[in-house]
Amino acid sequence: MSYYLQSIRSEYFIWLLYTFTIVEYSFFCYFIYTILQKNFIKKVVPFIWMGFVLLALIDIIYISKKNAFDSFASGIESIIILLLCISYLFSEIRGSNSLALYSTFNFWVVITFLIYFSGTFFLYLLTNKMYKEASFHRLYFIINISSNILKNIFLCVAMTMKLNDTVNQQKATIPDLDDDLFIQSSTNYQS
Amino acid sequence: MFFIEIKNTLDISSILVVGTLGMLVMAITLVSVIVFHQRRVLKFNRKIQKMEEERQQLLLRASIQSQEEERQRIAADLHDDAGPLLATARLYLNENLIHQEPAIQLQAIFSSKQIIDDAIQLIRNISHSLLPPTLKNFGLEAALKDQFEKINGSGIINASVRFHDNRERLSDEQELFVFRILQELVANIIKHSSAGFIHLTQNAQGKNVYFRIHHDGKGILQQDFEKLEYHSSGLGLKNIQSRVRVLKGKILFEIDSTRTYYKITLEIPR
Repeated sequence: MSYYLQSIRSEYFIWLLYTFTIVEYSFFCYFIYTILQKNFIKKVVPFIWMGFVLLALIDIIYISKKNAFDSFASGIESIIILLLCISYLFSEIRGSNSLALYSTFNFWVVITFLIYFSGTFFLYLLTNKMYKEASFHRLYFIINISSNILKNIFLCVAMTMKLNDTVNQQKATIPDLDDDLFIQSSTNYQS
Repeated sequence: MFFIEIKNTLDISSILVVGTLGMLVMAITLVSVIVFHQRRVLKFNRKIQKMEEERQQLLLRASIQSQEEERQRIAADLHDDAGPLLATARLYLNENLIHQEPAIQLQAIFSSKQIIDDAIQLIRNISHSLLPPTLKNFGLEAALKDQFEKINGSGIINASVRFHDNRERLSDEQELFVFRILQELVANIIKHSSAGFIHLTQNAQGKNVYFRIHHDGKGILQQDFEKLEYHSSGLGLKNIQSRVRVLKGKILFEIDSTRTYYKITLEIPR
Protein backbone atom coordinates (compact mmCIF):
# COMPACT_ATOMS: atom_id res chain seq x y z
CA MET A 1 0.00 0.00 0.00
CA SER A 2 2.84 2.33 0.89
CA TYR A 3 4.56 1.66 -2.42
CA TYR A 4 1.30 2.36 -4.23
CA LEU A 5 0.77 5.59 -2.32
CA GLN A 6 4.38 6.61 -2.92
CA SER A 7 3.98 6.03 -6.65
CA ILE A 8 0.78 8.07 -7.00
CA ARG A 9 1.10 10.82 -4.32
CA SER A 10 4.65 10.83 -2.99
CA GLU A 11 4.04 14.03 -0.94
CA TYR A 12 1.66 12.10 1.32
CA PHE A 13 4.05 9.20 1.83
CA ILE A 14 5.90 10.90 4.71
CA TRP A 15 2.56 11.35 6.50
CA LEU A 16 1.93 7.65 6.19
CA LEU A 17 5.37 6.89 7.61
CA TYR A 18 4.83 9.18 10.58
CA THR A 19 1.39 7.71 11.24
CA PHE A 20 2.89 4.24 11.16
CA THR A 21 5.69 5.24 13.55
CA ILE A 22 3.26 6.84 16.02
CA VAL A 23 0.84 3.89 15.90
CA GLU A 24 3.69 1.38 16.23
CA TYR A 25 5.16 3.31 19.15
CA SER A 26 1.75 3.63 20.82
CA PHE A 27 1.16 -0.13 20.62
CA PHE A 28 4.58 -0.79 22.05
CA CYS A 29 4.01 1.68 24.93
CA TYR A 30 0.70 0.05 25.75
CA PHE A 31 2.30 -3.41 25.71
CA ILE A 32 5.28 -2.44 27.88
CA TYR A 33 2.98 -0.55 30.27
CA THR A 34 0.87 -3.66 30.83
CA ILE A 35 3.83 -5.97 31.45
CA LEU A 36 6.03 -3.70 33.56
CA GLN A 37 6.00 -4.25 37.30
CA LYS A 38 4.85 -1.34 39.44
CA ASN A 39 7.88 0.92 39.52
CA PHE A 40 9.13 4.32 38.41
CA ILE A 41 9.46 3.30 34.75
CA LYS A 42 5.82 2.18 34.61
CA LYS A 43 4.72 5.59 35.92
CA VAL A 44 6.88 7.38 33.37
CA VAL A 45 5.75 5.39 30.28
CA PRO A 46 2.54 7.45 29.59
CA PHE A 47 4.52 10.69 29.80
CA ILE A 48 7.19 9.33 27.45
CA TRP A 49 4.43 8.31 25.06
CA MET A 50 2.89 11.78 25.11
CA GLY A 51 6.28 13.44 24.74
CA PHE A 52 7.18 11.35 21.71
CA VAL A 53 3.82 11.88 19.99
CA LEU A 54 4.15 15.65 20.47
CA LEU A 55 7.70 15.58 19.18
CA ALA A 56 6.70 13.54 16.12
CA LEU A 57 3.82 15.94 15.34
CA ILE A 58 6.06 18.99 15.67
CA ASP A 59 8.65 17.27 13.48
CA ILE A 60 6.22 16.40 10.70
CA ILE A 61 4.41 19.75 10.73
CA TYR A 62 7.33 22.15 11.06
CA ILE A 63 10.66 20.41 10.49
CA SER A 64 10.73 17.30 8.30
CA LYS A 65 7.69 17.74 6.07
CA LYS A 66 9.89 17.87 2.97
CA ASN A 67 11.87 14.76 3.91
CA ALA A 68 11.41 11.45 2.21
CA PHE A 69 11.75 9.39 5.37
CA ASP A 70 10.98 9.97 9.08
CA SER A 71 14.53 9.24 10.20
CA PHE A 72 14.40 11.59 13.17
CA ALA A 73 11.18 10.14 14.61
CA SER A 74 12.30 6.56 13.89
CA GLY A 75 15.66 7.15 15.57
CA ILE A 76 14.08 8.60 18.70
CA GLU A 77 11.47 5.83 18.69
CA SER A 78 14.19 3.17 18.45
CA ILE A 79 16.19 4.67 21.33
CA ILE A 80 13.12 4.91 23.58
CA ILE A 81 11.99 1.38 22.74
CA LEU A 82 15.47 -0.04 23.35
CA LEU A 83 15.72 1.76 26.69
CA LEU A 84 12.26 0.55 27.76
CA CYS A 85 13.13 -3.03 26.74
CA ILE A 86 16.34 -2.91 28.77
CA SER A 87 14.45 -1.41 31.75
CA TYR A 88 11.90 -4.22 31.55
CA LEU A 89 14.60 -6.90 31.44
CA PHE A 90 16.48 -5.42 34.39
CA SER A 91 13.34 -4.97 36.47
CA GLU A 92 12.45 -8.61 35.81
CA ILE A 93 15.92 -9.78 36.83
CA ARG A 94 15.81 -7.75 40.02
CA GLY A 95 12.36 -9.08 40.97
CA SER A 96 12.60 -12.22 43.08
CA ASN A 97 10.57 -14.28 40.64
CA SER A 98 11.40 -17.96 40.70
CA LEU A 99 9.88 -18.45 37.24
CA ALA A 100 12.36 -18.76 34.36
CA LEU A 101 12.14 -15.45 32.55
CA TYR A 102 13.02 -17.01 29.20
CA SER A 103 10.00 -19.28 29.36
CA THR A 104 7.53 -16.39 29.30
CA PHE A 105 5.70 -14.84 26.38
CA ASN A 106 6.49 -11.27 27.47
CA PHE A 107 10.23 -11.92 27.55
CA TRP A 108 10.32 -13.14 23.95
CA VAL A 109 8.17 -10.26 22.69
CA VAL A 110 10.50 -7.79 24.40
CA ILE A 111 13.51 -9.62 22.91
CA THR A 112 11.85 -9.33 19.50
CA PHE A 113 11.58 -5.56 19.89
CA LEU A 114 15.11 -5.34 21.22
CA ILE A 115 16.65 -7.27 18.34
CA TYR A 116 14.51 -5.67 15.64
CA PHE A 117 15.10 -2.08 16.73
CA SER A 118 18.83 -2.74 17.36
CA GLY A 119 19.10 -4.10 13.83
CA THR A 120 17.21 -1.28 12.13
CA PHE A 121 18.34 1.65 14.28
CA PHE A 122 21.20 2.84 12.02
CA LEU A 123 19.28 1.87 8.91
CA TYR A 124 16.32 4.13 9.63
CA LEU A 125 18.56 6.85 10.99
CA LEU A 126 20.54 7.05 7.74
CA THR A 127 17.73 6.39 5.25
CA ASN A 128 16.81 10.04 4.86
CA LYS A 129 20.39 10.91 3.92
CA MET A 130 21.10 7.95 1.68
CA TYR A 131 17.88 6.86 0.03
CA LYS A 132 19.05 8.22 -3.31
CA GLU A 133 22.23 6.06 -3.35
CA ALA A 134 21.90 2.90 -5.38
CA SER A 135 24.34 0.98 -3.13
CA PHE A 136 22.20 1.87 -0.13
CA HIS A 137 19.12 0.23 -1.62
CA ARG A 138 20.84 -3.17 -1.55
CA LEU A 139 22.00 -2.66 2.03
CA TYR A 140 18.56 -1.41 3.03
CA PHE A 141 16.98 -4.51 1.54
CA ILE A 142 19.43 -6.91 3.24
CA ILE A 143 19.27 -5.32 6.69
CA ASN A 144 15.53 -4.73 6.61
CA ILE A 145 14.70 -8.24 5.43
CA SER A 146 17.16 -9.87 7.88
CA SER A 147 15.73 -7.87 10.79
CA ASN A 148 12.20 -8.78 9.74
CA ILE A 149 13.09 -12.47 9.51
CA LEU A 150 14.71 -12.34 12.96
CA LYS A 151 11.66 -10.49 14.31
CA ASN A 152 9.31 -13.12 12.93
CA ILE A 153 11.38 -16.00 14.30
CA PHE A 154 11.39 -14.46 17.79
CA LEU A 155 7.67 -13.73 17.57
CA CYS A 156 7.07 -17.37 16.66
CA VAL A 157 9.01 -18.41 19.77
CA ALA A 158 6.90 -15.96 21.80
CA MET A 159 3.70 -17.47 20.39
CA THR A 160 4.91 -20.94 21.34
CA MET A 161 5.42 -19.71 24.90
CA LYS A 162 1.92 -18.23 24.91
CA LEU A 163 0.54 -21.55 23.74
CA ASN A 164 2.31 -23.35 26.59
CA ASP A 165 0.96 -20.81 29.08
CA THR A 166 -2.59 -21.43 27.87
CA VAL A 167 -2.17 -25.21 28.15
CA ASN A 168 -0.77 -24.86 31.68
CA GLN A 169 -3.63 -22.57 32.67
CA GLN A 170 -6.12 -25.12 31.39
CA LYS A 171 -4.39 -27.79 33.46
CA ALA A 172 -4.50 -25.56 36.53
CA THR A 173 -8.27 -25.13 36.28
CA ILE A 174 -8.86 -28.85 37.04
CA PRO A 175 -10.49 -28.88 40.49
CA ASP A 176 -8.71 -30.27 43.51
CA LEU A 177 -10.06 -33.74 44.08
CA ASP A 178 -8.50 -34.34 47.50
CA ASP A 179 -10.87 -35.25 50.29
CA ASP A 180 -9.28 -32.95 52.85
CA LEU A 181 -12.48 -30.99 53.44
CA PHE A 182 -14.56 -34.11 54.00
CA ILE A 183 -11.95 -35.62 56.26
CA GLN A 184 -11.85 -32.43 58.31
CA SER A 185 -15.63 -32.16 58.64
CA SER A 186 -15.98 -35.81 59.61
CA THR A 187 -13.30 -35.59 62.29
CA ASN A 188 -14.37 -32.26 63.75
CA TYR A 189 -17.12 -33.68 65.95
CA GLN A 190 -14.74 -36.14 67.56
CA SER A 191 -12.42 -33.50 68.93
CA MET B 1 34.76 15.94 -5.92
CA PHE B 2 33.28 12.79 -7.40
CA PHE B 3 35.79 10.65 -5.47
CA ILE B 4 35.01 12.46 -2.20
CA GLU B 5 31.31 11.75 -2.68
CA ILE B 6 32.02 8.07 -3.34
CA LYS B 7 34.23 7.97 -0.24
CA ASN B 8 31.47 9.61 1.85
CA THR B 9 28.91 7.12 0.59
CA LEU B 10 31.23 4.25 1.41
CA ASP B 11 31.92 5.71 4.84
CA ILE B 12 28.23 6.01 5.59
CA SER B 13 27.62 2.51 4.27
CA SER B 14 30.34 1.11 6.49
CA ILE B 15 28.96 3.11 9.43
CA LEU B 16 25.59 1.54 8.70
CA VAL B 17 26.98 -2.00 8.51
CA VAL B 18 29.29 -1.69 11.50
CA GLY B 19 26.67 0.17 13.54
CA THR B 20 23.97 -2.37 12.78
CA LEU B 21 26.27 -5.28 13.57
CA GLY B 22 27.45 -3.54 16.74
CA MET B 23 23.91 -2.92 17.91
CA LEU B 24 22.93 -6.51 17.17
CA VAL B 25 25.97 -7.86 19.00
CA MET B 26 25.18 -5.63 22.00
CA ALA B 27 21.54 -6.73 22.02
CA ILE B 28 22.45 -10.42 21.74
CA THR B 29 25.12 -10.06 24.46
CA LEU B 30 22.59 -8.39 26.74
CA VAL B 31 20.03 -11.13 26.17
CA SER B 32 22.67 -13.85 26.72
CA VAL B 33 23.85 -12.23 29.97
CA ILE B 34 20.26 -12.02 31.21
CA VAL B 35 19.49 -15.63 30.29
CA PHE B 36 22.70 -16.94 31.92
CA HIS B 37 22.13 -14.85 35.01
CA GLN B 38 18.57 -16.16 35.27
CA ARG B 39 19.74 -19.74 34.88
CA ARG B 40 22.27 -19.25 37.64
CA VAL B 41 19.67 -17.70 39.94
CA LEU B 42 17.23 -20.53 39.21
CA LYS B 43 19.93 -23.13 39.85
CA PHE B 44 20.76 -21.47 43.16
CA ASN B 45 17.05 -21.30 44.11
CA ARG B 46 16.63 -24.98 43.28
CA LYS B 47 19.61 -25.82 45.46
CA ILE B 48 18.16 -23.82 48.37
CA GLN B 49 14.77 -25.48 47.84
CA LYS B 50 16.39 -28.92 47.84
CA MET B 51 18.21 -28.13 51.08
CA GLU B 52 14.98 -26.93 52.64
CA GLU B 53 13.21 -30.11 51.52
CA GLU B 54 15.99 -32.22 53.04
CA ARG B 55 15.66 -30.27 56.26
CA GLN B 56 11.90 -30.82 56.29
CA GLN B 57 12.45 -34.52 55.63
CA LEU B 58 14.87 -34.68 58.54
CA LEU B 59 12.39 -33.01 60.87
CA LEU B 60 9.55 -35.20 59.64
CA ARG B 61 11.63 -38.34 60.13
CA ALA B 62 12.56 -37.16 63.62
CA SER B 63 8.93 -36.54 64.42
CA ILE B 64 7.86 -39.99 63.16
CA GLN B 65 10.72 -41.67 65.00
CA SER B 66 9.79 -39.83 68.16
CA GLN B 67 6.17 -41.00 67.83
CA GLU B 68 7.34 -44.57 67.31
CA GLU B 69 9.57 -44.40 70.38
CA GLU B 70 6.70 -43.03 72.43
CA ARG B 71 4.44 -45.85 71.23
CA GLN B 72 7.10 -48.42 72.06
CA ARG B 73 7.50 -46.95 75.54
CA ILE B 74 3.74 -47.07 76.17
CA ALA B 75 3.56 -50.61 74.79
CA ALA B 76 6.47 -51.66 77.03
CA ASP B 77 4.86 -50.01 80.10
CA LEU B 78 1.55 -51.73 79.43
CA HIS B 79 3.13 -55.07 78.62
CA ASP B 80 5.73 -55.18 81.39
CA ASP B 81 3.86 -53.45 84.22
CA ALA B 82 0.12 -53.42 83.68
CA GLY B 83 0.04 -56.90 82.09
CA PRO B 84 1.65 -58.81 84.99
CA LEU B 85 -0.35 -56.83 87.57
CA LEU B 86 -3.67 -57.71 85.96
CA ALA B 87 -2.54 -61.32 85.44
CA THR B 88 -1.70 -61.56 89.16
CA ALA B 89 -5.09 -60.10 90.06
CA ARG B 90 -6.71 -62.70 87.83
CA LEU B 91 -4.79 -65.45 89.60
CA TYR B 92 -6.14 -64.33 92.95
CA LEU B 93 -9.65 -64.27 91.55
CA ASN B 94 -9.60 -67.72 89.95
CA GLU B 95 -12.50 -70.20 89.88
CA ASN B 96 -11.31 -72.10 92.95
CA LEU B 97 -11.76 -69.07 95.15
CA ILE B 98 -15.42 -69.94 95.88
CA HIS B 99 -14.34 -73.30 97.35
CA GLN B 100 -11.88 -71.60 99.74
CA GLU B 101 -12.35 -70.54 103.36
CA PRO B 102 -14.04 -67.09 103.79
CA ALA B 103 -10.89 -65.68 105.40
CA ILE B 104 -8.78 -66.78 102.44
CA GLN B 105 -11.42 -65.40 100.06
CA LEU B 106 -11.29 -62.03 101.85
CA GLN B 107 -7.51 -62.03 101.76
CA ALA B 108 -7.52 -62.83 98.01
CA ILE B 109 -10.10 -60.10 97.29
CA PHE B 110 -8.08 -57.60 99.34
CA SER B 111 -4.85 -58.51 97.50
CA SER B 112 -6.61 -58.29 94.13
CA LYS B 113 -7.99 -54.88 95.06
CA GLN B 114 -4.48 -53.74 95.95
CA ILE B 115 -3.11 -54.99 92.64
CA ILE B 116 -5.95 -53.43 90.64
CA ASP B 117 -5.33 -50.12 92.45
CA ASP B 118 -1.67 -50.37 91.46
CA ALA B 119 -2.69 -51.07 87.86
CA ILE B 120 -5.04 -48.07 87.88
CA GLN B 121 -2.23 -45.88 89.23
CA LEU B 122 0.15 -47.20 86.59
CA ILE B 123 -2.30 -46.50 83.77
CA ARG B 124 -2.93 -43.03 85.21
CA ASN B 125 0.81 -42.37 85.23
CA ILE B 126 1.08 -43.44 81.60
CA SER B 127 -1.89 -41.24 80.71
CA HIS B 128 -0.42 -38.28 82.61
CA SER B 129 2.88 -38.66 80.84
CA LEU B 130 1.02 -38.44 77.53
CA LEU B 131 -1.06 -35.41 78.45
CA PRO B 132 -0.67 -33.80 81.87
CA PRO B 133 -4.15 -33.33 83.39
CA THR B 134 -3.12 -29.99 84.90
CA LEU B 135 -2.37 -28.68 81.42
CA LYS B 136 -5.68 -29.91 80.07
CA ASN B 137 -7.75 -28.61 82.99
CA PHE B 138 -5.93 -25.50 84.22
CA GLY B 139 -3.67 -24.39 81.39
CA LEU B 140 0.00 -23.85 80.71
CA GLU B 141 0.83 -21.72 83.74
CA ALA B 142 -0.54 -24.25 86.22
CA ALA B 143 1.03 -27.17 84.33
CA LEU B 144 4.46 -25.55 84.28
CA LYS B 145 4.24 -24.56 87.95
CA ASP B 146 3.25 -28.14 88.78
CA GLN B 147 6.12 -29.49 86.72
CA PHE B 148 8.67 -27.14 88.26
CA GLU B 149 7.40 -27.91 91.78
CA LYS B 150 8.00 -31.58 91.13
CA ILE B 151 11.54 -30.82 89.91
CA ASN B 152 12.12 -28.61 92.94
CA GLY B 153 10.76 -31.30 95.21
CA SER B 154 13.40 -33.74 94.01
CA GLY B 155 16.02 -31.57 95.73
CA ILE B 156 18.51 -31.94 92.86
CA ILE B 157 17.92 -28.55 91.33
CA ASN B 158 16.30 -25.27 92.31
CA ALA B 159 13.48 -24.61 89.85
CA SER B 160 11.10 -21.65 89.72
CA VAL B 161 8.50 -20.21 87.33
CA ARG B 162 7.10 -16.73 86.96
CA PHE B 163 4.31 -15.67 84.59
CA HIS B 164 4.07 -11.90 84.12
CA ASP B 165 1.29 -11.49 81.61
CA ASN B 166 -0.96 -14.45 80.94
CA ARG B 167 -4.22 -12.56 80.50
CA GLU B 168 -4.54 -13.60 76.88
CA ARG B 169 -3.81 -17.31 76.83
CA LEU B 170 -2.52 -19.24 73.87
CA SER B 171 -4.80 -21.78 72.21
CA ASP B 172 -4.93 -25.30 73.72
CA GLU B 173 -2.83 -26.68 70.88
CA GLN B 174 -0.22 -23.93 71.21
CA GLU B 175 -0.06 -24.43 74.98
CA LEU B 176 0.53 -28.15 74.53
CA PHE B 177 3.32 -27.47 72.02
CA VAL B 178 4.95 -24.86 74.26
CA PHE B 179 4.67 -27.23 77.22
CA ARG B 180 6.39 -29.99 75.26
CA ILE B 181 9.17 -27.65 74.10
CA LEU B 182 9.82 -26.35 77.61
CA GLN B 183 9.60 -29.87 79.03
CA GLU B 184 12.24 -31.05 76.57
CA LEU B 185 14.48 -28.05 77.27
CA VAL B 186 14.22 -28.52 81.03
CA ALA B 187 14.87 -32.27 80.67
CA ASN B 188 17.99 -31.51 78.65
CA ILE B 189 19.20 -29.00 81.23
CA ILE B 190 18.71 -31.49 84.05
CA LYS B 191 20.35 -34.28 82.05
CA HIS B 192 23.35 -32.52 80.52
CA SER B 193 24.08 -29.17 82.14
CA SER B 194 24.65 -29.93 85.87
CA ALA B 195 22.82 -26.69 86.62
CA GLY B 196 22.10 -25.47 90.17
CA PHE B 197 19.00 -23.51 89.22
CA ILE B 198 16.46 -23.17 86.42
CA HIS B 199 14.23 -20.17 86.23
CA LEU B 200 11.41 -19.79 83.72
CA THR B 201 9.91 -16.38 82.97
CA GLN B 202 6.91 -15.63 80.77
CA ASN B 203 5.87 -12.29 79.34
CA ALA B 204 3.82 -10.92 76.43
CA GLN B 205 4.56 -8.08 74.05
CA GLY B 206 2.15 -7.12 71.27
CA LYS B 207 1.06 -10.25 69.47
CA ASN B 208 3.92 -12.38 70.78
CA VAL B 209 4.37 -14.40 73.93
CA TYR B 210 7.90 -14.91 75.24
CA PHE B 211 9.29 -17.62 77.47
CA ARG B 212 12.82 -17.46 78.79
CA ILE B 213 14.71 -20.13 80.69
CA HIS B 214 17.78 -19.15 82.69
CA HIS B 215 20.14 -21.75 84.08
CA ASP B 216 23.65 -21.70 85.51
CA GLY B 217 24.84 -25.00 84.09
CA LYS B 218 26.74 -25.89 80.97
CA GLY B 219 24.62 -24.68 78.06
CA ILE B 220 24.65 -24.36 74.32
CA LEU B 221 24.60 -21.35 72.01
CA GLN B 222 22.60 -20.75 68.84
CA GLN B 223 25.32 -22.06 66.52
CA ASP B 224 25.67 -25.21 68.66
CA PHE B 225 21.91 -25.70 68.49
CA GLU B 226 21.86 -25.39 64.69
CA LYS B 227 24.83 -27.74 64.40
CA LEU B 228 23.38 -30.32 66.78
CA GLU B 229 19.99 -30.10 65.13
CA TYR B 230 21.53 -31.31 61.87
CA HIS B 231 24.23 -33.67 63.04
CA SER B 232 23.10 -35.03 66.39
CA SER B 233 21.50 -38.47 66.37
CA GLY B 234 19.20 -37.44 69.25
CA LEU B 235 15.63 -36.46 68.57
CA GLY B 236 15.11 -33.90 71.33
CA LEU B 237 16.48 -30.83 69.56
CA LYS B 238 14.91 -31.83 66.24
CA ASN B 239 11.55 -32.15 67.95
CA ILE B 240 11.98 -28.76 69.59
CA GLN B 241 12.77 -27.18 66.24
CA SER B 242 9.90 -28.88 64.45
CA ARG B 243 7.44 -27.76 67.15
CA VAL B 244 8.79 -24.20 67.03
CA ARG B 245 8.29 -24.25 63.26
CA VAL B 246 4.72 -25.48 63.60
CA LEU B 247 4.06 -22.63 66.02
CA LYS B 248 5.75 -20.23 63.56
CA GLY B 249 7.90 -19.09 66.46
CA LYS B 250 11.59 -18.55 67.12
CA ILE B 251 14.05 -20.02 69.57
CA LEU B 252 17.31 -18.41 70.61
CA PHE B 253 20.12 -19.87 72.68
CA GLU B 254 22.38 -17.26 74.30
CA ILE B 255 24.80 -16.69 77.12
CA ASP B 256 24.57 -13.79 79.54
CA SER B 257 27.03 -10.92 79.03
CA THR B 258 28.66 -11.78 82.39
CA ARG B 259 28.95 -15.39 81.10
CA THR B 260 27.46 -16.71 84.34
CA TYR B 261 24.26 -18.22 83.02
CA TYR B 262 22.65 -19.33 79.79
CA LYS B 263 19.39 -18.05 78.36
CA ILE B 264 16.95 -19.81 76.06
CA THR B 265 14.28 -17.54 74.63
CA LEU B 266 11.16 -18.82 72.94
CA GLU B 267 9.04 -16.39 70.93
CA ILE B 268 5.55 -17.56 70.02
CA PRO B 269 3.08 -15.52 67.96
CA ARG B 270 -0.48 -15.67 69.31
